Amino acid sequence: MALEKELALFAKMKPDLLKTYDGKFVLIKGDDFVGAYDTAENAYAEGVKRFGREAFLVKRITEQEEVYRNQALALGLMHARL
Amino acid sequence: MPVFNFFHWTQEHGYLLAETGPLVAVQIGIPTALRQHLAEKGIAIPAPVSGHALVDTGAFATAVNEEVFTSLGVPHIDEVPTGSAHGPAMSKVYPANVTFPAMNVADMPMERVLGCNVKWKTRDDKEIIMLMGRDLLRYFLMVYNGLASDVTLCY
Repeated sequence: MALEKELALFAKMKPDLLKTYDGKFVLIKGDDFVGAYDTAENAYAEGVKRFGREAFLVKRITEQEEVYRNQALALGLMHARL
Repeated sequence: MPVFNFFHWTQEHGYLLAETGPLVAVQIGIPTALRQHLAEKGIAIPAPVSGHALVDTGAFATAVNEEVFTSLGVPHIDEVPTGSAHGPAMSKVYPANVTFPAMNVADMPMERVLGCNVKWKTRDDKEIIMLMGRDLLRYFLMVYNGLASDVTLCY
């Protein structure tokens, strides 16, 4: 999967990011931490401005990442797979 | 608050709401920031992908078929843990603009949509490309009228 570098850097930086930017959205490209933003929309807009259509990470800085559960999918009631 | 009715019935197939679930026509387009970027660079802006959204009150997050993002050329921006029938997994997250033409809702920004492989056709040939989760439904009032095979949505 793409974003491997970005996710690895995020995991490494997370303890420090939580101290300063808890609840904000981080923008990371490759091995570079670009910044933290109040909304995902602002982080994405900055990412597009700098990197265009290239892949970059926009992730919420939070202690415990939420697990997304779609009940119909979780129970196998639909022909879909996340 | 505008009110929109979606009657799930066809001459050929009869009442369909119980079989298909509540369906609404939808268009998935590229996010506004990316559209502006492409316009500034003089690059052609991909046309939105049309299909139907299945209203899924059991879903926390809205999910869209990943092929849609591939065809739009929108890379994913995150990967998050998800729970499915196949156990824990990681899913990609994409930004998108969502339009519901029948409700005059245009270019609703969604910064975080899950990518999934939901894609199938109903008997009356409606292609489902999106599961409309509670993150989107929080902006709507919905009435499910099973007897009349009718769904009412207010935005």
